[in-house]
Formats: sequence, structure tokens, C-alpha cells
Amino acid sequence: MTEPVLRIRGLRKSFGPTEIMRGVDLDLVNAERHALIGPNGAGKSTLFHLLSGHLAPSAGEIVFDGRSIGGRTPQAINRLGLARSFQITNVFPKLSVFENIRLAVMRVHGLQYSFWKFIDNDRVIRRETERLLELVRLTARAATLAGEMAYSEQRSLEIAMTLASDPRLILLDEPMAGMATEETHYTAQLIREVTKGRTLMIVEHDMDVVFSLSDRISVLVYGQVIATGTPDEIRNDARVKEAYLGEEAHA
Amino acid sequence: MTMKTTLSIVAAGVALLLAAPVLLSQGLLNAAVQMLIAALFASAYNVLCGQAGMLSFGHAAYFGVGAFATVHAMNAVGGAGLLPTPLLPLVGAGLGLVFGGVAGWFATKRTGTYFAMITLAIAELVHSLAPHLKGLFGGEAGVSSMRMPAWGFDFGSTTQVYYLVLGWTLLCVGLLYLYTRTPLGRLTCGLRENSQRLRFLGYDVHGLGVAVFAISAMFSGVAGALQVLSNESANYVVFDPALSASVILNCFIGGVSVFLGPALGAALMTFFGYAMSDLTRSWLLYQGILFVLVMLFMPAGLAGLPGTLGRLRRRFGLARLLPLVLLSVGAASLLSLGGTFAVELLQRVFSQDYRAAVQMNPGVAWPDVTLLSRAWSPGSPATWAVPAALFAVGLALVWFARRLHRALEEGESAPPSVASASASATVVNVPVTRSLA
Repeated sequence: MTEPVLRIRGLRKSFGPTEIMRGVDLDLVNAERHALIGPNGAGKSTLFHLLSGHLAPSAGEIVFDGRSIGGRTPQAINRLGLARSFQITNVFPKLSVFENIRLAVMRVHGLQYSFWKFIDNDRVIRRETERLLELVRLTARAATLAGEMAYSEQRSLEIAMTLASDPRLILLDEPMAGMATEETHYTAQLIREVTKGRTLMIVEHDMDVVFSLSDRISVLVYGQVIATGTPDEIRNDARVKEAYLGEEAHA
Repeated sequence: MTMKTTLSIVAAGVALLLAAPVLLSQGLLNAAVQMLIAALFASAYNVLCGQAGMLSFGHAAYFGVGAFATVHAMNAVGGAGLLPTPLLPLVGAGLGLVFGGVAGWFATKRTGTYFAMITLAIAELVHSLAPHLKGLFGGEAGVSSMRMPAWGFDFGSTTQVYYLVLGWTLLCVGLLYLYTRTPLGRLTCGLRENSQRLRFLGYDVHGLGVAVFAISAMFSGVAGALQVLSNESANYVVFDPALSASVILNCFIGGVSVFLGPALGAALMTFFGYAMSDLTRSWLLYQGILFVLVMLFMPAGLAGLPGTLGRLRRRFGLARLLPLVLLSVGAASLLSLGGTFAVELLQRVFSQDYRAAVQMNPGVAWPDVTLLSRAWSPGSPATWAVPAALFAVGLALVWFARRLHRALEEGESAPPSVASASASATVVNVPVTRSLA
């Protein structure tokens, strides 16, 4: 196996006496689609928060692209090429869809403190924004306020914003949560298309999506990875069945 | 509103402002200078409040720093001035920017209530320090100065001062508008909408906050400088919390979501303050009541009114809307008449003058008070029947207006062709439901 894009070793996180992550080891290889599953409260979102800089780890190391990123700020991690979406839709609700994506695109072109030029005149930014709009099929909605769109459209917008920084590694936190079956298929197809050539780590509860979309799956239970493997291996893993899929069948 | 109508309205406004010295008396021109300064201050404040969504409770500090920087610059070089008079606001801008940058660095470390408290603390710090630093702030007497002639103008007349203030106000408001079209200006709105998302897009949110704070403080400093140029003096009362409060009220009454809203609100309130202070002693009470009413019934402020009316007109048509508008205007006028009548009567009855009048006429239990050049007896029910009747008729009109509005809404929801119009009028909230596997 080549050098992993992301290497997690002995990652721990506790809030006071409560241990949420109890020593996670995980490798992500280049350009794979890797799903993270596990029962509620297993620590999936916490792991995303640790990777993206929202939380600082209590112990252990996270190496992304050869650099240790544990405890760095979100903006520093983002600039290294790791972008994430959120479990709860996290856009700029009262700005237009176009503006939402443009804000994401501007960062990549280093426009943070520019007050000497007009953004509307920047052709590079506009073209890139339009490309992303088309990629997630929101061109027709460009002028709509983001907060007024249907839920699945807002998720598509999130994906476009996540892609704007041209990241090597994308973390998607439950991109299909709250979607109808049709929307789920649409979004799964969208994710498959737009993440081509990038490494993807996805948390998702919809097992159909997880097993059809991912190259490999890791199962997180009570803050530890109990198994990693291809969809088939995971499906037939006795421990996984007991700890996770078994529970699901009864639920 | 299309770009063209907006532009022509702005052009007409600017033309009117340019013609003001010809049209207005000296007294009104002085009021116009104060209105322009308040408008600029409100526009500067709104960069932080309306665009970035950060409610500062201490913006008088940056206004005051600009003011004192300018007065000292005027007195520098043996009274000749550091810069020619027309360029002096640059000093206010510079000091405002620096002080705003330092204060903003601390304040924007936190958001929301904590941010507001830090800005309040910084302003109070300056406010309580100023009287003790006599060398810098001149103590009770303040620091006074003289406008020096420059560039062929002597700046001796109100008209010349007016044009100087107008020039700077138009320039600064224009720059503030252009600012909203720049990348930093767009990010300012992003800061208001969702600063967490900006952080995860890779932006340095604290740096952004400091930049926005400093820019807002810089233009506030220009407003302070213009006031000094107009008054030829600066006193530490500019650091008074009342100034910080009034800029907030002006912004919200005008409407923080429209670019010119705060400027219009500030100009309007300053004008009322000027006009009313001669007529009534209860101006601050009216200001407060107006603010509460605007917040309750027009959260978008006065500048939101044309938009609301335009939307209603598109939905119902002018013919059906007109009765509703007339009823509402009638109700509002009657209620405010009744309200002011009652307030003015009460104010007179509870005043010191009245107590003196009671002592002078021991025979009369309730001496008359004069209001609208007429004597009213506070003891007679007929006197109080006037505001009560105004109120009653006003409330009846409100009731009719509401009924009419409901009837229009119901009449409208029947045909299916208008579904798109109502969808655009109301913000659709998408419930965030989550299904668990």
C-alpha cells in the first residue's frame, strides 16, 4: 500500500472524565471513498471535529499529507487541503446561492482582505463559481437565497462549497440525513461524480448508500475502530454484526 | 427597485443636498450639518452592526477619538493646523482606524453578547478616563480651535462648512457603498450569516472581524472630525454613552438591512431632535417610543417600508391596497396624536412650573395648563376625553385595517395563480429532519 493520505494513531478525546475517543487507529489511502459507520454516540462526529480542527485531541496523532494536524485551527487545516461539510446544514442562509459558493471560491484565490477591487469584475472567481454551480446542478438557483432552497439542494450547495478549496481530502458528515429516497440516490450519484480523484471520508446512516458508495468501510464503536475492510468483509464480519448491524436489524 | 430608479433617486437626493444652502435658513442649515454628520456616523456604524452583525455598544469612543485627534491637529503647529482645513478629517480617520484596530482586536475575540460587553467596557473606559486627562481632553471646558482659511475658502460661513461636511459625507458614504462590492465587503456579510462556516472555508475570522471593526471605526472617526470642524471645539461629552445608544437607535429605526437605511434614520431622528427640542421636553421619550414601535411592527425599519409596500402592491394591486394604506396612515396619525397629547398634558401637570402655579393659586385645585395655545383643565374629564377619543378612533381604524388585510389575504389565497407570489413574500423555513438508520 502507498503512503496513506491520512494516518490516525492512538487518537483520544475526553470531555472531563468522559472518554469519547478511546484510541482510534485508521488509515485513508489516496482517492478512496471511505465510509465511517457506527451506532449513535460512537464518536463519528467527534472524529470529524478532531480531524477538521473544531476540537483538539487529548492524545494521539493525526497526520495528513505528511504533516501533523492534531490541534491546529480549522482555517489552517482547510488550507492544507482538508475540507468538510456539516451534519446540520451549514451555509449562509440569507445570501444567494451564487454568493455562498463565491465566498468559498474567494478564499482559494487569497481574497480575504481585498478592499481595492470589485468582486463582480473578477472573471476568474466568477468562472470558477459558475463551474461549481454547474457541477452540483444549481445553476438555475444561482439567485435564490440559500436558506429558501429545499433541503437536498442546500446539501448540494454544501458539497459545492466543500469542493471550492480543491481539497485532497473531503469529510462529509451525513450528507443524506433527512432526505427522501430519490434525493438520496441523486446525492449519492453527485458525490460519486464530484469526488472523483479525491479522498473521501463519509459518515452516513443509510446502509444502502454506505455499501454502494464506499471502497472501504470502518466501524466505530464506543470510540474505537473495531473493523476496517471492503463492504463485503464488513458485511460478513462477526464482530460488526454483533456490535452494529445486529442492533440495526432489531431496531 | 431597478438599478436605474435607485440611481435617479440617489442623484435627485444629491442634487437636493447641493441646493440646500439656497433653500434653507441658517438655522436649518446648521441642523442639516448635524444631520449629515449623524448620517455618516450611522453608515459607519452599520458596517459593523448591519453588515457584519456585530452589535457594538460603544461606538461613541471612535467618534470621540476622531473628534479629539482632529481638534489637536487643528491646534498643531502653533494653531496653523497639521493639514489644510479640508483635509483635517484624514486625521480623524487615521486615529479612528488605529484605535479601532486595537479595540477591535480585543472585542472581536468574542462574539454576540460578550462582544457587545467588551465594546461597552472599552467605551466606558475612555468615557471615565477622559475627564481626568485634562491635557488631552481639556477637562470641563474641552478643547477649542479655529478653522483656518485654506484653498481660497475662509470657512467662516455656515454655507462653506456645510459644503465641507457634505463633501466628506458623500465621499465616505460612497466609499462605504463601494466597500460592499469588494471581496472584504462580501465577507463582512458572511461574518454576519455564519462565521463558523467561514472558518471552515479557511478564512481567518478574527482577522476579518478586526478589519471590519477598524474600517467602521475609521469612518466613525471621520464623522467625529466633521463635528469638530463644525463646532470648532471638542468636549469629553462626546464619549457619553448616549451617543453610542443613539447611533444604535438611528440605525435600527432607519433599517440596518438597507444600505442607506441607517443614514436616513439618523438624518430623520437628528432633524426631529432639532425641531422637537424647541417644542417639547419629552423628545427622548418619543424617541424611545418610536424605537420600540419600529422594532415591534417594522423590524426592517423605515427603509423596509417601500419594499413592503411594493410587495403588497404587486400582490393586491394599487386599487385594493389604497384603502388599507389610508386606514393605516389614519390610524397611525390618530394614535400618535392621542399619544403626544396625553404625554404633553402629563408632562405639564408633573412639571415644576405646574407645582409653582398650584402654590400661587391656592384657591384652585387644578389650575389650567396651556397646550396648543389653549387652556385645558387637568381636573376636567373633558380634557382627558380628547386623547381618549383620539385613541379610541385610532384603535377602531387599526381594527378595520386588520380586517381589511385579512380579507385581502383570504381573497388572494383562493386562486392558484398567486402561489409563486406568496412564496416569494414569505421566507420558507426548511425543517431539518433527520432520519436515523
